[in-house]
Amino acid sequence: MLSLIPVFLLALSAHASLLAVQSPRYTVTGAKGSEVQAEPVSLAQKPSSPVALHGKETLKLTFQIVDKETGKGVQPHQTFLRFYDEKTNEEGIQPVRVTPGGKAKFELNLSKPPLSLPPTPDRDPLKVTLFIGSSVYDPLSVELFDLILPASQPAPAHPQELTFHPLPEIKHTFRPENKQPPRLISAVSVGIVFAPWVVLLGLWSQVAPRPSHLFSPSILPFILSLGAFETLLFRYWIGLKLGQVLLYGAILAIPTIFTGKQALSSIANHRLGRK
Amino acid sequence: MPPKAVHSSSASPTDAFTSLWKAYNDNTSNRLKFIDVFLFFLMLSGIVQFAYCVLVTNFPYNAFLAGFSSTVGQFVLAASLRSQVNPENKDEFREVSPERAFADFALGSIVLHFFVYNFLG
Repeated sequence: MLSLIPVFLLALSAHASLLAVQSPRYTVTGAKGSEVQAEPVSLAQKPSSPVALHGKETLKLTFQIVDKETGKGVQPHQTFLRFYDEKTNEEGIQPVRVTPGGKAKFELNLSKPPLSLPPTPDRDPLKVTLFIGSSVYDPLSVELFDLILPASQPAPAHPQELTFHPLPEIKHTFRPENKQPPRLISAVSVGIVFAPWVVLLGLWSQVAPRPSHLFSPSILPFILSLGAFETLLFRYWIGLKLGQVLLYGAILAIPTIFTGKQALSSIANHRLGRK
Repeated sequence: MPPKAVHSSSASPTDAFTSLWKAYNDNTSNRLKFIDVFLFFLMLSGIVQFAYCVLVTNFPYNAFLAGFSSTVGQFVLAASLRSQVNPENKDEFREVSPERAFADFALGSIVLHFFVYNFLG
């Protein structure tokens, strides 16, 4: 009823013509037409006990819509009954036929229930509200009573129902920190990795040809510049920046080219001269 | 370098290997053996590093990449140097003098070492 207060306030302030519902009354009849329950509906106070339907009983609701000032019957443009389940938020809306004299009769036959009734698997009470709309009068909404329907099948789940729930929070898993192997294994591995050097030096000591002209003035500069290149690259590992390495390498390349040309051509002369 | 004189009468594999080894020792110049020892060293070193990576850990991975790729790259460069300076392949590399081959080897090695140090981190 609280929700109606603003409507009333608006209606009062606008001084528009008002509608009223007169002598609303419901009747519950059994399947064979015998009357089970019949009571007028109090509009001022919502009845505390809900109206219950069992089996194939029929609910009949009658009322008249009148102009509040003149008391004449009015046929509004729209009249609906809304069955609303507050728990599941499901609702069903049924149109009500109103005669030109304002008399309305609504029948809810449970042997032929309308399609738009909300499902009631737990027999939850449905809130029944009357909505009246007219272009001449102010709209009106009246809460009539609560209605308990026989248990129905549960509402079918929507095929995409699962996609409309919040997803579980994303938990990031990170790769575990890299671990150093135990000290002993590291030490042994270092030994094994350096073992090929022993093989290399041992075998080289057997087969290495005597360097004949290594320190001759034509070859030594080339060896030195190659050594300088390796030193430069080693310094790159230790701390030089890429740009510095490229710059120094470019500078170093010039003497290396000349010394290399000289050294290799002198070696070639030796080789060809020997032949 | 193919072995020249394998005794056809020796059928057992051990004999075949000993004769192969003998032929290699006799017919290969010391300069080529020098390169061969280097190739052998690179092969061993690469195998050891790879085994360490598989068996113990690949951390730090960049160091493994640098070390392993340096052995592989150096092996390729040294092998091509060996095939180019081998006197038996003279006809095949008529354009390439041994000095030219060594210059290529030196240049390739410098570029390779640049990348290796780059990876070493």
